[in-house]
Amino acid sequence: MISPVKIWRRQKKIKKVINKIGKITSWTIVYVPPSDFKKYAPYPVVLVELENNQKMMGQLVDYEKNELKVGQLVRTVLRKTQETAVEDVIAYGLKFKPINQIDSGRAH
Amino acid sequence: MSSIIGYYSTQFGELWKKSLFDLVKESVEGVLKENYIEMKQIDAIFFGNMLSGVLENNLHSSAKLSEIFHTNVSIFRVEAACASGGMAFHLAKQYLDAYSNKTVLVIGAEKMTDYSPEETTDALAAAASEEEQNAGLTFPGLYALMAQAYCERYHYTEEHLAHIAFKNHYHGSLNEKAHFKNKITIEQILKSAYVAHPLKVLDCSPISDGAAALLVTNDSKKTKHKVEILSSEVATDVISLKNRKDLLGLKSVRIATQKAYLQARIKPDQVDVAELHDCFTIAEILAMEDLGFWKKGSGGKMAKELVTMHGKSKKLVVNTSGGLKAAGHPVGATGVKQIGEIFLQLTNQASTRQVKSAEIGLTHNVGGSGGTAVITILRG
Amino acid sequence: MVGIISYGFYVPKYRILIDNIANVWGKNPKDIKSSLMIEEKAVAGIDEDSLTMAYEAAAMALDDRIDKTKIGSIFFGSETPPYAVNPSSTILGEFLGVKKDYLAYDTQFACKAATGAIISTIGLVKSNMINYGLVCSADKSTGRPHDALEYTAGSGATAFLIGKSNVILEIIDQVSFSSDTPDFWRREGIRYPSHSGRFTGKPSYFYHVQNAAKNLLLKTKLKPENFAHAVFHMPNGKFPRAVATSLGFSQKQIEKSLVVGKLGNSYTSSALMGLVAVLEYAKPNDLIFFVSYGSGAGSDGFVFKVTKNLINHRQKFQSIINNKTQIDYPTYLKFMGII
Repeated sequence: MISPVKIWRRQKKIKKVINKIGKITSWTIVYVPPSDFKKYAPYPVVLVELENNQKMMGQLVDYEKNELKVGQLVRTVLRKTQETAVEDVIAYGLKFKPINQIDSGRAH
Repeated sequence: MSSIIGYYSTQFGELWKKSLFDLVKESVEGVLKENYIEMKQIDAIFFGNMLSGVLENNLHSSAKLSEIFHTNVSIFRVEAACASGGMAFHLAKQYLDAYSNKTVLVIGAEKMTDYSPEETTDALAAAASEEEQNAGLTFPGLYALMAQAYCERYHYTEEHLAHIAFKNHYHGSLNEKAHFKNKITIEQILKSAYVAHPLKVLDCSPISDGAAALLVTNDSKKTKHKVEILSSEVATDVISLKNRKDLLGLKSVRIATQKAYLQARIKPDQVDVAELHDCFTIAEILAMEDLGFWKKGSGGKMAKELVTMHGKSKKLVVNTSGGLKAAGHPVGATGVKQIGEIFLQLTNQASTRQVKSAEIGLTHNVGGSGGTAVITILRG
Repeated sequence: MVGIISYGFYVPKYRILIDNIANVWGKNPKDIKSSLMIEEKAVAGIDEDSLTMAYEAAAMALDDRIDKTKIGSIFFGSETPPYAVNPSSTILGEFLGVKKDYLAYDTQFACKAATGAIISTIGLVKSNMINYGLVCSADKSTGRPHDALEYTAGSGATAFLIGKSNVILEIIDQVSFSSDTPDFWRREGIRYPSHSGRFTGKPSYFYHVQNAAKNLLLKTKLKPENFAHAVFHMPNGKFPRAVATSLGFSQKQIEKSLVVGKLGNSYTSSALMGLVAVLEYAKPNDLIFFVSYGSGAGSDGFVFKVTKNLINHRQKFQSIINNKTQIDYPTYLKFMGII
């Protein structure tokens, strides 16, 4: 079980970088996942540099194949991150979603 | 000046019948017996191991070893992820620099196959940052990000990386203690399934059990074999890959390397034989550049030409043990095995994989994605 | 003047064609599509839930001009909340960066969970108990495989910020009509909802929507022809069209609101998404007639009036929902956590 206290502390970090824009600087696709991520595999993990130069690591979601590339603009979005047991606290965290011209999200 | 006077390694592989401490016992009894030394002549023990706490709820190794070996000396458990073995050796050397007339044991051991690959992979992820773990990154994933960046920057392909695995498996076929003694082809490597793009199954070192032990001393007594430790240097770097300046090499390795060459007063072109930390094929290429053996960016091309392969190389031969890829990677044991392999090379005991007239050897042991680097330079 | 000062919505990227579901169960897609009047529905991704979707909708609503410190309430309406016991409204508040002095609660009343909360919020705002109140609707719904609901139950979220300043959509009046009617329900611990077949029609949907609508028209002394647009809850494509006609509204008046054909029924977000669709086109001074429906059962009705402030604050809708990716049935089951 993921500690609920850890999830709670993590929240505060998430708040600071939610809904921010960045660029992919490197990427991979994980085919053999850790056990908490089994049901999401395979998934791309990207290294992103945000507009304020802060760097982040996370999964890329809702992407077309040609958007998994260095230089792609992305936005941080709230998603479920790990598979936790059915009785556990839900682990929400940040992933990245490609931005295109018709993007609906507003970044603040 | 401290020296290595003995080395013993267990078989590396899936060793169902042996527990962690069975392996430790075997390696220690082996090295003591071969060198006619008894436990009571050992002044301290340095034990490198990463996962026994996480996987087996098994810590306080000092007390366990005291029980197994019937000793009451100082025993140090050392952990630095995959550099645990190298660090154990490094601390042993520090100890010998501090005290005179001492003989110590350096043991590296790991038991990984009692658990499912998922459980073991999860445990290994402890060497990564929390953010990396929460992103679902595994070690192959972290090195895959480096491989992606390197190949994109210098225009190399998966085929370039594959040559490292090909070479190391050829070496492994010459090492009776290797986990994998089969030669593999480039085609087989390229056809293997992806683990984390662009790294495939055959780009990655395996999960293995094993233990290795070294006898190290600063006692000037005459011994059958003796290899001088010219330098042992350590450097660290940020645990998070995202906080590295670039992904094209490891800063910790570069810093430790510079210190090591300086301390040993040797240059890269004087190294005859080296054991490098090829946890993934890309790691050996980056290491060759970070260690000053190859120019930055030339790694892919050089790898493809197999210039460091036994029998082909004109000078430096790398990973005659089979590296981590073929010899296996029982995490805590690797750093010790690397030093042991150089010891064998420098004392002419490396049989069919012997590098002729090898005089200077180097080992490169890395923790995690480059958070710790231990560089050791030895002279036979 | 009390009304909506800002709004947002979120529709996930994925769609499944009715054909892809029908073919698995050996049904004729043409028959299903013509009887339900729906082409495809929106499906949330494997790592999305009602909370993550509500966040997206709320983040869109709470843009830079909104003073978050003025938010005095957050209500979260859903039939598929992430927790049976634990407020999602506060998780939402936390991630939105709202300060802690606000009233929060989660509501459930089938598909009208959020519209009921809008009425409560109006009360809080009108009485000056709060400055702004946020109401979110969100559902990641599905029916039992092989059941009729499987064709219509979809995913989506909306968010509405209610207050008194710079109103873009004035709330002229509201009604609520409630009864005990067992048309559709889900017991604690049971995964899929159950329904009473044809009973969900006349005695349920139609009875409540029509009564709420008639009461609303009486109360406001308005007639159907006074309205530029009308929005009704959309459990499928047939019901809203039929109820509109029965009340004297034309097909043209409801045209812009009919999101169900392309998005399916996102339960608590169904009618509200229809409102979002209308707001992309509505003009200042337009009157909008709105009636939601929640099984169990009840309806909430509103008469809205568009102010000139909408012009600068309306959200793009059609172009965003047209950015979509089709998935097949196994992927759909994977995303919904059924396999």
